[in-house]
Amino acid sequence: MPRLTRRQRMFVNCAPFNDARIDDRAMRAAVFRVRKADEFAHQRAFDRAIAAVAEATPIPDEVTEWLSKGTFVAAPRRTWKQMLRNPVVAAIGIAVLVIAGILVFKLVDRLNQFPGEVKARHLLGVAASAKSVLLDPVKTEAGSLGDYFFMKHRLPHYDVPAEFAELKTLGCRAFDDEEGDRVGQIWIVDKRMQFFLFPAERDAKTGAIKHFAGWRYVDQDRWTGVVREQNGVCFMAAVRGGEKDLAPYIAKAKE
Amino acid sequence: MLGDAAKALAVFDAVMHDAALRAAAGEVPKDRLWLFRDARDRCLETSEAGLQPEEMELEAHAIDPNATAQIAKLEPQQLAIWISAAPDPQRSALALFYLDEFSHEEILAIADLKTPELAKLLGNARQQFQAWLNACIPHDDHIEELPA
Repeated sequence: MPRLTRRQRMFVNCAPFNDARIDDRAMRAAVFRVRKADEFAHQRAFDRAIAAVAEATPIPDEVTEWLSKGTFVAAPRRTWKQMLRNPVVAAIGIAVLVIAGILVFKLVDRLNQFPGEVKARHLLGVAASAKSVLLDPVKTEAGSLGDYFFMKHRLPHYDVPAEFAELKTLGCRAFDDEEGDRVGQIWIVDKRMQFFLFPAERDAKTGAIKHFAGWRYVDQDRWTGVVREQNGVCFMAAVRGGEKDLAPYIAKAKE
Repeated sequence: MLGDAAKALAVFDAVMHDAALRAAAGEVPKDRLWLFRDARDRCLETSEAGLQPEEMELEAHAIDPNATAQIAKLEPQQLAIWISAAPDPQRSALALFYLDEFSHEEILAIADLKTPELAKLLGNARQQFQAWLNACIPHDDHIEELPA
């Protein structure tokens, strides 16, 4: 007899000698394992011989007329538990769960997207490679640079939001990005943070500005930015790190 | 279960009578095996009323490869008596198992057993029955001759 677990031995011991009566998967597997073993063959032959004698028991006709199991027993119903144990159902269930997970992930990702996200990611790449020597040295409070951009570069509404307005600057500049949009860049002393101001995304057909409310996070290559749109201009504070590095500034504003 | 055809017929009649009454009253239980459970309960009640087999420790022998030849010499009545003399729930397990009408889950449901219990009862019964066969129906010479 092949080596069996206690559970398998138990199933083999009470396995019906008629394979058609085995409707339990674990029992069928246990029987399959021992099907060629002599010991099991003897057990089955023994059981079948006894069943043959039992079948030869004379039964009165009045009983025989009624004695059909099908008359008295309804077909067994498949329970949810049994269905879940079926490998095919389990495999389909797991596949559906994985697909549902991916859909939920995509949906959440889509919900977190905002107009101008692509440009914001691109500017995080600019922040990662920027050198302070490229900027015009301007040491002041970030909030006062709105006038500077307007007066020097004719960029209206390029204002730093109140949440970041008090931070000290090292320098700033205005440049054209790959799409020809004017971008304002400010270098901050605190945490080597950088600010970017750029035109909000517009609808390709109507030219209308695509507004969005509140602060939105975006990350790229270990840099994280927090973006807000106001008056058709997006402001992004970028820092090398995670959301936790920027969250205190935004939380301060909410208080 | 009873080892007595007359008693068995009486139980059968009682079960069918009760089933007909229930069906007429629309009170058939939801349990799909209720009729067999009822029959078993009535058999146990009936057997408790009659003579009880003496409780004794039975010998147990491993299943003999030539046991089928020994069993073939048995009369159905002898087998019925042996099974009906077994203590319950072993008796119920044997009767239901060798009827070849039920899956093991159905046997468990009717006899109110768990799989390990059923396995133990059947395993012990086979060995005890083999010991009884060895005592009552010894091997013929030609049976003992195994093929080379």
